[in-house]
Amino acid sequence: MAVCVAVIAKENYPLYIRSTPTENELKFHYMVHTSLDVVDEKISAMGKALVDQRELYLGLLYPTEDYKMFRKLHNSYTDVMCNPFYNPGDRIQSRAFDNMVTSMMIPVC
Amino acid sequence: MPRDFKMSVPDYMQCAEDHQTLLVVVQPVGIVSEENFFRIYKRICSVSQISVRDSQRVLYIRYRHHYPPENNEWGDFQTHRKVVGLITITDCFSAKDWPQTFEKFHVQKEIYGSTLYDSRLFVFGLQGEIAEQARTDVAFYPNYEDCQMVEKRIEDFIESLFIVLESKRLDRATDKSGDKIPLLCVPFEKKDFVGLDTDSSVLLGLKRHYKKRCQGRMRKHVGDLCLQAGMLQDSLVHYHMSVELLRSVNDFLWLGAALEGLCSASVIYHYPGGTGGKSGARRFQGSALSAEAANRHRPGAQEVLIDPGALTTSGINPDTSTEIGRAKNCLSPEDIIDKYKEAISYYSKYKNAGVIELEACIKAVRVLAIQKRSMEASEFLQNAVYINLRQLSEEEKIQRYSILSELYELIGFHRKSAFFKRVAAMQCVAPSIAEPGWRACYKLLLETLPGYSLSLDPKDFSRGTHRGWAAVQMRLLHELVYASRRMGNPALSVRHLSFLLQTMLDFLSDQEKKDVTQSLENYTSKCPGTMEPIALPGGLTLPPVPFTKLPIVRHVKLLNLPASLRPHKMKSLLGQNMSTKSPFIYSPIIAHNRGEERSKKIDFQWVQGDVCEVQLMVYNPMPFELRVENMGLLTSGVEFESLPAALSLPAESGLYPVTLVGVPQTTGTITVNGYHTTVFGVFSDCLLDDLPGIKTSGSTVEVIPALPRLQISTSLPRSAHSLQPSSGDEISTNVSVQLYNGESQQLIIKLENIGMEPLEKLEVTSKVLTTKDGISVSGFPLSSPFRQVVRPRVEGKPVNPPESSKAGDCSHVKTLEAVLNFKYSGGPGHTEGYYRNLSLGLHVEVEPSVFFTRVSTLPASSTRQCHLLLDVFNSTEHELTVSTRNSEVLILHAGECQRMAIQVDKFNFESFPESPGEKGQFANPKQLEEERREARGLEIHSKLGIRWRIPSLKRSGEASVEGLLNQLVLEHLQLAPLQWDVLVDGQPCDREVAAACQVGNPVRLEVRLTNRSPRSVGPFALTVVPFQDHQNGVHNYDLHDTVSFVGSSTFYLDAVQPSSQSACLGALLFLYTGDFFLHIRFHEDSTSKELPPSWFCLPSVHVRAVEVQA
Repeated sequence: MAVCVAVIAKENYPLYIRSTPTENELKFHYMVHTSLDVVDEKISAMGKALVDQRELYLGLLYPTEDYKMFRKLHNSYTDVMCNPFYNPGDRIQSRAFDNMVTSMMIPVC
Repeated sequence: MPRDFKMSVPDYMQCAEDHQTLLVVVQPVGIVSEENFFRIYKRICSVSQISVRDSQRVLYIRYRHHYPPENNEWGDFQTHRKVVGLITITDCFSAKDWPQTFEKFHVQKEIYGSTLYDSRLFVFGLQGEIAEQARTDVAFYPNYEDCQMVEKRIEDFIESLFIVLESKRLDRATDKSGDKIPLLCVPFEKKDFVGLDTDSSVLLGLKRHYKKRCQGRMRKHVGDLCLQAGMLQDSLVHYHMSVELLRSVNDFLWLGAALEGLCSASVIYHYPGGTGGKSGARRFQGSALSAEAANRHRPGAQEVLIDPGALTTSGINPDTSTEIGRAKNCLSPEDIIDKYKEAISYYSKYKNAGVIELEACIKAVRVLAIQKRSMEASEFLQNAVYINLRQLSEEEKIQRYSILSELYELIGFHRKSAFFKRVAAMQCVAPSIAEPGWRACYKLLLETLPGYSLSLDPKDFSRGTHRGWAAVQMRLLHELVYASRRMGNPALSVRHLSFLLQTMLDFLSDQEKKDVTQSLENYTSKCPGTMEPIALPGGLTLPPVPFTKLPIVRHVKLLNLPASLRPHKMKSLLGQNMSTKSPFIYSPIIAHNRGEERSKKIDFQWVQGDVCEVQLMVYNPMPFELRVENMGLLTSGVEFESLPAALSLPAESGLYPVTLVGVPQTTGTITVNGYHTTVFGVFSDCLLDDLPGIKTSGSTVEVIPALPRLQISTSLPRSAHSLQPSSGDEISTNVSVQLYNGESQQLIIKLENIGMEPLEKLEVTSKVLTTKDGISVSGFPLSSPFRQVVRPRVEGKPVNPPESSKAGDCSHVKTLEAVLNFKYSGGPGHTEGYYRNLSLGLHVEVEPSVFFTRVSTLPASSTRQCHLLLDVFNSTEHELTVSTRNSEVLILHAGECQRMAIQVDKFNFESFPESPGEKGQFANPKQLEEERREARGLEIHSKLGIRWRIPSLKRSGEASVEGLLNQLVLEHLQLAPLQWDVLVDGQPCDREVAAACQVGNPVRLEVRLTNRSPRSVGPFALTVVPFQDHQNGVHNYDLHDTVSFVGSSTFYLDAVQPSSQSACLGALLFLYTGDFFLHIRFHEDSTSKELPPSWFCLPSVHVRAVEVQA
């Protein structure tokens, strides 16, 4: 179960952000925003270390258990990018992507 | 004073190299002004490092003007926390106060008394006997200016501190009391060891354990002292030994300290530039050289080797020599971090060592920042965030968050830095604070802007769509607005709110848009938004925020003047393309340049003093009605009087045209740079260059000198029907009128000069446009041409009606279109060669009135006359009357056709048709003939004067037969060029009236020929034949008995030259009374065959012979 899912453009702005307790959305905005420092750091470290460039998963910002979650999210993101009507850089408004995120947010029991 | 053993005040500025410093507290005593104190304090601080005489060791001093005494309690744990020196500064102006002042100094000393190595008192203001005494602990200065010796005194002071330090170091290091090493303790441990009798400890193991602990701690302490004394290598040795000792006894807190000492020494070794960032740089300021020197000669290293006795004689560990080799190798950069980690993990076991742990974290972060290992640094910082010291005061919280922010900045985590800075800012105005520091809050918030990738320059957002963390950026802007308002700076609030509205518009919900504009209007009601940059105290400048999105302008178009006001350039001899000063007709370079120029400059002109217009297509992105006030043009190049408009755009309007107007006051090239608005109380100057996605077809236009301005008004109503002449002229005014064929209408045109310039020249021309039905019109005869009319008031000119004379298809309405052009100029524009053209379009719908279906002639009794028979058809729907000059009135019902006969005098056409011939010399005979015919028609028309009248409509007009006249009719109507007159008894006679004569008296008969033809005619022979008309169809020619000729009955006429006369005379004798007719016949052979027969038409003569009355 995820509480907040965000897709960030490489120019540092959210393409998509969604959180489950909608009443405190701003908190998640802050949280995601501040955590980008670490992402930046990891990306720059990746460049230096010359690790496998195809491995897109940077790792965890904070410990969670699910790596599959990223795969799912990334596949769906790829689908969005493949949409010829999608303008790279625009906010993601795809319903399929949204549904996928929703499914990730619903606690799986 | 209740002792809190916990050290509670962290020094967030600490860095690893602080471990090698000696702590000196500088404090004022009594009343010393802050200014004076800090002046001296600054000078003292400049003496931050000193090379100790005749050695290469360097001593570093850390000055504090405030130091909590409870932190001093931890001085044994880490000696750099120990206040070893005290400098007090005091004012003392009289000797009387001196003892008291000195007493205060002592009191002050008491506070740090236990740890002080030495102290100094600087007295300012005291002069005289007391001041002259030479004391080492007191220095006297007459005032704050005159104290050059301060630095020297400080250096001396530091040297004295060094002596004490050195002695302590040697004392501790060579402590021979071996078995009786005291146990160094941190404050909170002291109560644990109270009453513990170390001597009576029974268990040997415990005793050994205890001893090791004592040794380990002491070793660590000596390490600290060595480090402070500039013997880095020695300190490493001691720390290593201490680590080993303490590790074996699990004395974690002190083990941590020993490890940290090891780290500090290694950091100092590896990073001589310091890790403290700015503060570190400051520390090394002015001593960079000596720092480098210190680097070259690693202090201590030599000494250890030269004088190992200092160590080997140590009673603590007799075996230091074995350690030396290892000690030389200080920790590698990676090891430093590992050891820091370890040390911190040990510290974390002790709640009371929170400050130590926190500071260690910070020190490690600084080291990692230098190593550029941000990720690990962030882990340390993360740890530091979670260290809860105690209930912090609000001020401490602010400090804590600020320093966290700075540290995150240091490791390149700008977002986290911004996050904590913002938290700090919020802390400044926490509700629990009695006097919220809005100013500080605002300042901190401003500092967070880069972290949120937010600049306050709206230009950064004008390129393309805004991309950023809108949610957090918006929040920040709201906070800036609120903070600036609470600061009492409404101008700032307005600026920030404007910025929010301008840049975040796409991200605002409808409700938010309403709320933001509502509050913006509230603010601007007190402080309107301006276009002035706002300078902030911090040196930052807030650029103005023009509302380029309220409304959004999509299209800007400069409009040409209306057709009637457009200036035209008179065609000069020099030609129009004077701009190209090249002798070549075509050059690719010039063509290219012109093309570029044209892309900007529009090829029409505006006129000085005349209102010109710019059309903007705008739309309102707001979900409510947008009121835009004071919207006007921004121009350059020409003095321009903008006439601002106010508009109200409906909610989320589509593209909406707005026309902005203004009057150029001077001439030249004007450039429309943008527009200004006032929206929600904010003034905006929007420049077109800054508007993204705007379409403009050029913004530069030429303004020519002023011209007069004519206004046209006519007696006829204006019509909506506009003419579309093919020539491209635009008609400014149109009138239309409906007329019956043949009707006249007078049109009065009034021209009024409503401009400021005098009218100096006016030219009137007219042009008939090709009509749809091919009506032939003879043109507009204008009553007079106007030239050089100054300020005309009223001009009246009758315009002849267009005449239609095609008989064929008169049944339907025809249209006629014509244009009257008024070309005028005056004022400065005239001298520049410009004029204006005002044109009046005339649209006439011609309805058929009467027309003639057939024309024929009948000869009249007189040869000079004939009857014209006209079949008149009334094609109107009204009853009308037709009359001729002779006022014969014929009434025609609608659709009725009647014949009317008009007796007309024959026409002498030959007398005038030469006039068209004069100018038509080159015209071919056919054309000539046509013209002649036309002229004849006109004459016939005017002679006949046929008029119609529709009584019910009270309208009347002429009817023309012109077009109907065929050759035959014309010939009949034509008076022969040979005019034959027959005179009876000297009286000209005609058939109508009988000439009276007396029986028995001879009657003179004269036949006179006047030749009006252009050629000579004749000779002719004529025979007079008398006859009687019996009125029954019988003509009696046998009159030999009744009429006798005196002389011959045949006359001969000689040839007659043009325009001369000839006559022949004879006489008749009537023998009986009666009515006689004389028929004069030509002899066949004498008539010239080439002349038309109608030329030889002689009148019959009617003679009545009566009895002679007595």
